[in-house]
This record gives sequence, structure tokens and C-alpha cells, in this order.
Amino acid sequence: MSSPEDALERARETAARKRADGRDAGAGLEAVGSRIAAGRPDLEDLSEWALLEVPDDTIYTTRRGGGAIVALKRALLRLLRQYHVELEGRQTRFNSVLLQHLRELEARVARLERAEDEADRASGGE
Amino acid sequence: MTSVHQVLSSAGPFDAVGGQALAWQRLLGPDGLAGGLYSDLIDTRARRDFEPIGALRPAADDLLVIRYSAYRSALEALLELPQRKLLVYHNVTPPRYYWRYHPGTAVACAVGEDRLARFAHAARVTTADSAFNARDLERVGAREVRVVPILLDSARLGARGRPPAGGGPLVLVVGRYAPNKRHDLVLAAFAAYQRECAPDARLLCVGAPVTPAYLELVRELARESGARDVELASGLSQADLNAAYAEADVLLSMSEHEGFCVPLLEAFHFGVPVVARPLGAVPEVAGDAALWTAEPGATDEQPDLAVIAELIHLAVTDAELREELRRRAAARLEHFSPERTAEAIREAIGAALA
Repeated sequence: MSSPEDALERARETAARKRADGRDAGAGLEAVGSRIAAGRPDLEDLSEWALLEVPDDTIYTTRRGGGAIVALKRALLRLLRQYHVELEGRQTRFNSVLLQHLRELEARVARLERAEDEADRASGGE
Repeated sequence: MTSVHQVLSSAGPFDAVGGQALAWQRLLGPDGLAGGLYSDLIDTRARRDFEPIGALRPAADDLLVIRYSAYRSALEALLELPQRKLLVYHNVTPPRYYWRYHPGTAVACAVGEDRLARFAHAARVTTADSAFNARDLERVGAREVRVVPILLDSARLGARGRPPAGGGPLVLVVGRYAPNKRHDLVLAAFAAYQRECAPDARLLCVGAPVTPAYLELVRELARESGARDVELASGLSQADLNAAYAEADVLLSMSEHEGFCVPLLEAFHFGVPVVARPLGAVPEVAGDAALWTAEPGATDEQPDLAVIAELIHLAVTDAELREELRRRAAARLEHFSPERTAEAIREAIGAALA
């Protein structure tokens, strides 16, 4: 009888057999299947996010016939552009300076760890 | 007379949290306990059912049911009110899923994780949709956490709309277009299935996108996958969704974080076999009635697309297996029967009012 408990093993065996025959159903699809990453943001991500750039498509509506509302919101944004440029500038300044400090701290920690490793090796060798 | 008011952080037309508030409201109506439904953020399509939190005027002996799925300062302000409180924890999605795609949601989730303890300690009674969610409450020191599953409203599954077009095997995916649902894996696995097992297969994804830009990313991935007959629907009516369930050959879930996963029960209701990753609350809800992409308990970090394709193929073509899954699905539905859940809800409310 086909049982749900056996299904995974059956699927693995079939996939392995097909691979042995040169047929890998997943070949070339790995990049698509791993695109939506959920890892912890790293320094590279922070560098990208430090510079504030809010894309236009952030403004949207879920109302039927909401095109006019979106147009109005975009017009308001244009009118307030002077204020938003200043706001983005101040926030980006804070982000950039903080990120620079973080990079320097990371470099310093790395130097200290290397020095500690070298000291450990030196004392172990005596 | 005591009223039970329910308060949410956000209410939309299709989300599970808002749906549960409405289901509880219908349950409490005949008992004369139903109060108002309030939300901080209200989608325009949900304004008929929900009022802004500012309109909440509870009487001294009323009960506040706070539904918690993300942080909103307006919800935290409720903790200062003297009324008795029942916290319903629907799970907070880990912020790591959202940092890249919707920073505002990521912040709401990060702060939501951080402030959960305060909400849990302010409530007389705390409930969670699943034992998986209950563990979060226990971690922050909540005592006597009750597991009260999602109340399945099978009446809304009766209406039938327009079935999806086409004739090949239909793979159905139901859930928000959100990073934790892993539509990238869905598209890659479906492309592998279509390529290897069923060239005429169709994929229908149904859900509301977290943002239009995120849905556009999923569309781009669909194009890159090379899969044909892919429909990425949003805003499908309940009747049309029911018609899709009725026609579906398999429900596919690649989600890696779920506090409950209502579509599992809906698929069981329609007798649709389920292929899923054994992560979050999914194994707890589906029990032995699903085909798993890895052994339950495994992290399943890098699922094998070829194996998922073969699992889908088995779920679609093996009549004996489908029958066994249907039989087990019926038992799971019995486990989550509305009557049992309604009893658990009434007990929790009774304990909070005692």
C-alpha cells in the first residue's frame, strides 16, 4: 500500500535514479529557488540601506479606482520634496557615520583577535 | 452586560487574524457577549467590519481581546486600561524575513518580539493558535498558556465561483506573497515538476502581496523559472478560491514560518493532498495527513527541488496515496472541528472573565 510515510523515500529514490540517468529536474533552478533570502543582514546590506532612497512604487492604493489617490499622493510628495530631501540627507548622514564607526570597530576587533591568536600560538610553542 | 471587544494591529480583507476576529464575533453573538472590532490600521476593504482603535469605549466590566501579531503603539496603550484582558497570540514573523523587502514591517516585527512579554504579563489569560506559538509565550514568562486553534469557518467554503482555466494538474498555493512563504521555492519546485513530470501542469498562487513591489519580484522569479501556466492572483474572491480548491490536485506549501497555516485545513476540507515543508506550526496542524519534503524536525534549509517535484507527482497521480491522505485529512478536520475550538474559545473567555 502507498503510505504517506513512504512517500518521501520514494520521491528521493526516483529523483536519485533520474539523476543517475542524467536527468535532474532541479538543474538550473537553484538560483530561482534561493532568491528570497532571510539571513541576518550583513555590513554589505547596511551599506546599501544607509543611503535612503525610497522608490516611487512605495506609493500605492488597494482601493478600486484608486489611481487618482495615488496621483494626489505623488503630487504631495513633489510639493514636499524640499523637506524630504533634507530629512533623507540627515538620516543618511547619521547612517553613514554610524556605519563608518561600525566598520572601524570590526577592523579593530579583527586586529585584536589576530593578535590574541598569535599570542596564544607563541605561548603554546614555548 | 459584559461585552468582549477585540482589538488588532491591522485588519485586511484576507488575513487570518482579521478573519479570526470575525469568526469569534459570530461565535459570541448568540451568547450576547459580542462587542466591537477595532484595529489600528484598517485596509479600505475591511472598513465595513472594523473601527479605529480610537473609537473603543469599553465599560468597566468588559473584556479586551488583544490579538497580537506585530507591534503597534496603539495596542500597547491599551495595556494601561483597567479592563480585563485576554491576549491571543497569532505569532510574530521573525523580522529577518522582512528587512530586505519591507522595513516598516520588519521594525513592527522586531519590536513586536521585544514587547511580547509586556503584553503577556498584562493579560489575565493568554492563548496561542498552536503549541508552536505557545512556546513563544512561555519563553517570555506567560503562565498557563492555552492553545486555542484557529476557528475554521467552513460555511464560507461552500460558495463556488469561477474555476481556474486549463486542464492539466493544478498545483495550488494559498498565502500572502510574503518572504516567509518562500514563493521562490514554490516557483522553482513547480518548474521542476512541470519540466520532469507534467508538462501541462498549472500553478495558481493566491494571496495578498505585502507590497506591489514584492509581487513584482515574485512575477520576475516566475519568468526566470521558465515555468508556463503560472497565475499569480491577488484579491481572489472567496467563491473563486473555493472553486480553485475544488479543482486543485495538490496544495503546495514551501513556507518556513507559520503560526498555524489555515490553508492546510481548507485543503483538508476540499480533500486536496498537501505537500509541505515540516516547519513552524505546519507539522502540528497537518499531523500525519501531509507529504513532507523532509523528516519532521529537520531544518530543511536546502530542499531538493527534484524530490519536491517527485512528491508533487506522487500526490497528483497515486490514487491509493491520495485516498489515504483524504482519510487522514478528515481525522485532522475532526481534531480541529469548529465545535471543539468554540468550546476552547468559550473556556478561555470564561477564565479571563472569572
